[in-house]
Amino acid sequence: MPDVTTAGLHVALNGLSARQRVIADNIANLETPEFLAGRVDFESSLSAALSGDNPASAEITTERSMAATGVNGNNVNLDEETLALIETDLRYQVTSQAISSKFALLRTAIGRGY
Amino acid sequence: MATFPVLSTMANGISVFRTWMDAIGDNLANLNTVRSTDEAAFQARYVVAEAVDYGSAGVSGVGTGSRVAGIEYGSAEGRLVHQPDHPLADEDGMVRMPDIDMATQMTQLIQAQRGYQANLAVVDRARDAYLAALQIGK
Repeated sequence: MPDVTTAGLHVALNGLSARQRVIADNIANLETPEFLAGRVDFESSLSAALSGDNPASAEITTERSMAATGVNGNNVNLDEETLALIETDLRYQVTSQAISSKFALLRTAIGRGY
Repeated sequence: MATFPVLSTMANGISVFRTWMDAIGDNLANLNTVRSTDEAAFQARYVVAEAVDYGSAGVSGVGTGSRVAGIEYGSAEGRLVHQPDHPLADEDGMVRMPDIDMATQMTQLIQAQRGYQANLAVVDRARDAYLAALQIGK
């Protein structure tokens, strides 16, 4: 069974990757009539799961934004999506670096410390 | 699922906005296309987009972009213009011109272009994230 750090980072990486797909879908549907922007949440579930014992039990949920729509029934806000995309991308890089650092520690422990 | 799902989603989005720009280009190119009064006027093309996998739970309800659902046509009636010296003019000196509003087309062109650029920007970002994922454990 993986340790808490690896399991938690794994959930975070999955959640960020799901968010990235949803933002991509939102931007692809920037002008699609009746399209409601998707929103991903995993942070609240992950933080609850981390205070318990099993971070792997955290769930990634997707729902539709209930923000006001324009005349064509679409509520994708490009500024919001672009900022969320940049943030998600940077967090993804930080998280993957954290996983790499964790693996580097393990590698040191098994005697291949480079 | 594709290996790099964001990239295929963006490919869908980019193709919708490109189709839209192509349609506007065609509409603008035919802004002054003259027909005789017994023919239909040039009809403007309007691209209708729809979401792919919208609300259907593929991976936790995540859709996979947009696609062109169809093309709607503008008025075939157009507008009649008095141009008696035109070779296609009828006995009253009238010809048929398309009923396309240049301001509307230009506005839509900017919208389509903005959407296209936004989609391309996502490709750049997604690439960075995928490259970071490929570095895990190195």
